[in-house]
Amino acid sequence: MKKLALVLAVVLSLCCFAACGKEAAPTATDGSSTTAASDVAAVQAKGKMVVGITDFAPMDYKDEGSDEWIGFDADMAKAFAEELGVEAEFIEINWDKKSMELETGAIDVVWNGMTYDDEVAAQMATGTPYCKNAQVVVVKAENNTDLSGGVDALKALSFVAENGSAGAKALEAEQIAYTAVDTQAKALMEVASGSADACVIDLLMAGAMVGEGTSYDNLKIAEGTELTSEEYVVGFRKGSDMVEAFNSFWKKAYDAGTVKATAEKYDVAQNIIPQ
Amino acid sequence: MTDFWSVTLKLLEGLLTTGELFLLTVLFAVPLGLLICFGAMCRFTPLRMVVKTAVWIVRGSPLMLQILIVFYGPGLLFGLPLLPRFTAAVITFVINYACYFSEIFRGGIQSVPRGQYEAGQVLGLTRVQTFFHVVLLQVVKRIVPPMGNELITLVKDTALVRVIAVYEIIWMGESYIKKGLMWPLFYTAVFYLVANGLLTLALGRAEKKLDYFRA
Repeated sequence: MKKLALVLAVVLSLCCFAACGKEAAPTATDGSSTTAASDVAAVQAKGKMVVGITDFAPMDYKDEGSDEWIGFDADMAKAFAEELGVEAEFIEINWDKKSMELETGAIDVVWNGMTYDDEVAAQMATGTPYCKNAQVVVVKAENNTDLSGGVDALKALSFVAENGSAGAKALEAEQIAYTAVDTQAKALMEVASGSADACVIDLLMAGAMVGEGTSYDNLKIAEGTELTSEEYVVGFRKGSDMVEAFNSFWKKAYDAGTVKATAEKYDVAQNIIPQ
Repeated sequence: MTDFWSVTLKLLEGLLTTGELFLLTVLFAVPLGLLICFGAMCRFTPLRMVVKTAVWIVRGSPLMLQILIVFYGPGLLFGLPLLPRFTAAVITFVINYACYFSEIFRGGIQSVPRGQYEAGQVLGLTRVQTFFHVVLLQVVKRIVPPMGNELITLVKDTALVRVIAVYEIIWMGESYIKKGLMWPLFYTAVFYLVANGLLTLALGRAEKKLDYFRA
């Protein structure tokens, strides 16, 4: 028994080492190493730019029955990839793991209506701001309380917001208590189900998802409740030369009118920041 | 109604990932668990200590954390390229479940009376022959109920892999919340219940089949 166990244990540990070696070998060839001197070169060597996104209309989403990612951000990401001479590959990520995804090379860029703030600045390198946004309060459609009176009127409500989102920070800045949930969509679900009176989400998202003719037609954006205004940026690995590549691409695309045309297609033209 | 079918199809797609993860985990974790079990029962103290420590670490830390470490760890700590998401998930589950299985196997092996080994010896069998021809069958029979527990837990634990964006059934269900549909998330429960129902039936049959001798 003792001998058998010993032999098996040795085989087991050898198997472990062998497995490790085997796993590492094939993936090493795709060149996604984060230590590469030039990120642009690494992406080009790989032949694809992996874009980390979430399902977020009108920025990144799929049409019913289609498998292709479209939206203002998705279309511009494809154009940028084309400029680099590579394919854009979209991967739905866990939004709260975005910096880990970038840092480890699981994705090359975060391009998903990301609001610029201190946290984003600490986690990644960002391109020039390209889109304006605001945080708004969403309530049930039958809720007729006047909320434009400022913070005091809001404090009477129970709030939800996405954990760590710009909306959550806006609430914290006003010292309004809220319950954190893990996505903006869940925040909407809380309000729709009645477990909270109101949630704070992006104006862009609210515009696409709330009100008549949308998925949440029993909700509405409360009048006069813009909490903060903010800017959207694209995120890259720290120290990446993709930032310069993106900035020059964006300027060129803006001057050529591509940005405006794409924005009009997805109904976000009023949010575009002139370059 | 079209909604219902398209959601069902999408969830089935997620269930496929869940199922693959489940099958691969069982396939690799059972033999690995047996090896770990032998290691934990080995009379060579250093090896036994190493194995027991490893089992303690794996059983003592959250599976969700282990998934994150296996997927992001190599990149964060050493700048190495990452494993594909699904591969990382399978590796984590195999290691984690092998450790739980190993303790079940150990319990099964140690519950076989000493007399069985002695009987084997008397009949002129070697230790290895005694183990595989006399003891092992009795072990298999004894470990079916606790293994059943573990397998049912495994079906539900697969939901954890969505932390590294592996699109299993709960991820698929949650993706509908954005589109304003809340019922798909709760509807996923039906799929788990059916899967575990079938598993329970299969385990019941296995138990009956193994009822060949009363120990």
